[in-house]
Amino acid sequence: MTSMPDDIRRPAGPRTPAVDFLFSEGALRLEGESYPEDVTTLYGSVLAAVDDWLATEPPKARLDVALSYFNSSSAKALMMLLERLDAAAGRGTAVEVVWFFDAEDEGMEELGEEFGEDLEHAAFRLEPVPAAT
Amino acid sequence: MLAQRTYDLRADLQSRGVIFAYSGYVTDDILSGVGGALRREMASQDAARRTIRSVFTVFVEQMQNVIRYSDERLDTGGETLSYGILAISRESDAYVVHSGNVVSAPEVAPLREKLESLRGMDAASLKAAYKMRLRDGETTAGGGAGIGLIEIARRSTTPVGFDFLKMEDGRTFFAIEARIGGDA
Repeated sequence: MTSMPDDIRRPAGPRTPAVDFLFSEGALRLEGESYPEDVTTLYGSVLAAVDDWLATEPPKARLDVALSYFNSSSAKALMMLLERLDAAAGRGTAVEVVWFFDAEDEGMEELGEEFGEDLEHAAFRLEPVPAAT
Repeated sequence: MLAQRTYDLRADLQSRGVIFAYSGYVTDDILSGVGGALRREMASQDAARRTIRSVFTVFVEQMQNVIRYSDERLDTGGETLSYGILAISRESDAYVVHSGNVVSAPEVAPLREKLESLRGMDAASLKAAYKMRLRDGETTAGGGAGIGLIEIARRSTTPVGFDFLKMEDGRTFFAIEARIGGDA
């Protein structure tokens, strides 16, 4: 009835992050920058696949957010993704969200805190990345 | 003559402190091209990372508002181009990001109301408004519903300025400016 969706591997584009959602391993990763004007094209199919995957009640899920910049519409999509994972955590999936941020970018750290503080069931961790020189 | 006219335009912009200006149809490609140049230029001037990030953020949100809401549009087989003007200026230690576009008559009152309410908010209420917008409903396409304006207000060091001008043809021109950095 519920089946495992195919893994998603999309390289980064000029305004879109690399998307590596390896459902088979329970490992999801967003990396790069996200500011497409139309976020539906990028995140619509990704969120649909996540819904399908979470319906299989996976034992564990880890999301790495390694975004160096995202616009306000991407923020909304990201929040939708976190809400789904948090709900799955409430149903028994062991969910861990790791928010990577440039150690010199307190703005992204603050955003991470804001996104993380609303999670009720999922584990959330902020992880500074040493700034590239 | 030609050089003089172009030089005068450049001199006029420079005398207003403008370091960058774009007037024309805006697309996502123009946004990322110009945005990349803006970030490199600011980095070369040793602007703080946080300042660069904030200026870029406000720039992106303003450009995408022009793309979404400009009432001057051109349909070119599949893609709709939106007309707007965007400029970034230096005023002592601060960067000021300005943009303007024509808005349709029904947009004016709600836009004014949103921006006026944002002007009255402190950092904590802006954060609360931002989070509320993040979570309300599943609107995605054109997503915003004001979240872009809240983002601009959060990044701005002083309350976001805005104005409306009745144009000769009866339509309304909308302008917004946000100041980042400096002594506020």
